[in-house]
Amino acid sequence: MQFSPDIKGTLSPFLAVKKLFEHPKTICYPEVKKEQIDGYRGFHTNLLADCIGCANCQDVCMNEAIDMVTIAKDVNPKNASGCIPRIDYGRCCWCSLCTDVCPPNSLKLENECIWADDKADNFLYFPKDK
Amino acid sequence: MENNDNRLIKIYHGPQHPGITGNMSMELDLLGETIKGARTHVGYLHRGFEKLIERRTIIQAFTIVCRICVPEPDPNEENFARAVEGLAGIEISQRAKYIRVMVLEMARLAAQMLWMGGQSGSIGLGVVGQWSVYDRDLILDLFEELTGGRVYHMYIYPGGVRRELPNGFLEKLAQLLDYLEGRLLAYDSIFFENSTFKKRAIGVGVVNRDEALKNGYVGQVLRGCGIERDVRRDNPYLVYDKLDFEIPTYEGCDVYSRALVRRGEMVESIKILRQVIAQMPSEGAIMQKLPKHRKFKLPKEDIYVATESARGEFGYYMAGDGSEFIRRMQVKGPSLIHGFTLLENLLVDEELSNVALIMNSLGICPPEMER
Repeated sequence: MQFSPDIKGTLSPFLAVKKLFEHPKTICYPEVKKEQIDGYRGFHTNLLADCIGCANCQDVCMNEAIDMVTIAKDVNPKNASGCIPRIDYGRCCWCSLCTDVCPPNSLKLENECIWADDKADNFLYFPKDK
Repeated sequence: MENNDNRLIKIYHGPQHPGITGNMSMELDLLGETIKGARTHVGYLHRGFEKLIERRTIIQAFTIVCRICVPEPDPNEENFARAVEGLAGIEISQRAKYIRVMVLEMARLAAQMLWMGGQSGSIGLGVVGQWSVYDRDLILDLFEELTGGRVYHMYIYPGGVRRELPNGFLEKLAQLLDYLEGRLLAYDSIFFENSTFKKRAIGVGVVNRDEALKNGYVGQVLRGCGIERDVRRDNPYLVYDKLDFEIPTYEGCDVYSRALVRRGEMVESIKILRQVIAQMPSEGAIMQKLPKHRKFKLPKEDIYVATESARGEFGYYMAGDGSEFIRRMQVKGPSLIHGFTLLENLLVDEELSNVALIMNSLGICPPEMER
């Protein structure tokens, strides 16, 4: 068997060693948080002053993650049904089709996306009024 | 092969195994370290997407298709959008076409980076994976800014694309391309020219060139056999006919040739993206007006569309029946033919340690087999 050493191929991987002297690429979460980007598809927000309770969001949701529920709070006088959307984050896939079809543009997605809870019912989420 | 002579050992490689490319398993008959028979088993990830899509309106079905292939969802979105547009007779603007090409090429780069991590990990080169997954993350950062999502973008939509480019996006992309171009030289040093990788990959997993076309293999498997096939060139879609790019081919037919094809494709993707940045029209609607959700109906016709994904031709057959539902949608991905016909044959008489190496080189993605 002929021995033909591949010197370049043997030595070139050692170039990785120079990375030892570079600044780490990772960040120390949660001490350092990642920069938030506008337009990220996180939790829903719903401006109740504008929501008309039309249930378009419920109709378009392919995961059936949205229920229209009655709330005691004052809602928009133009809200004929008196209902607002409630999102089931056990089912939502954050496609944002619901925000696309919202006629008054009251339903939106915000940057916040972290939610931890030990009770499944707490994942039935009323969007923040903003 | 019958396992009745006490010398053969039957083992399952997967579905829970770091050397498998997803939720599938290989049933292997071993004689010592040598594989004497291999059978592919899938069924661990069946989600019934094709059937689900028949029960959703056209707009609702759009959110399912990107989940057909996890590492590269965008070719699925493009196929779905183009099939719906073809059936509904919607013509999208030049600007939307350029944005789609940009997204598809960024997705191709990201998928090749992820492949590099898997391929190097299959032979124990851990550093390559750490570097390439970090570089992929830089592409995902841009995707996050553009689409609002990192992996499932849900951005390419029937009628165009869903969001306008953020301010300064093309400049950021140009900077990233310069960075990635430099990184390719680093990957040459630690991976493509690495003598360990060459020793493990050259002459391993050799595909029969004559069978490659006959059996319907696609992507790097064909181009690694020296056959110049690419949907972007053979059947151009969007604005690929206006862009200048090469189709890298190598003659070795083995794992190493397929790796070099992928490396060449990364260079070509960078070239295409630079042309897209230069030629991107500044004017033009990104989205055409579509009928309302329940009133969007497809005529009683059918269509087949194909996109060149990072692993080969990805095709959708779609049939409408005059209602707001899609009558039938059939997905043809590269993994089915590579994961069964090709992989089962390639593994025979190979060493057990080469299973992950060969599987990664074929670009097999089980989620796409079991859509």
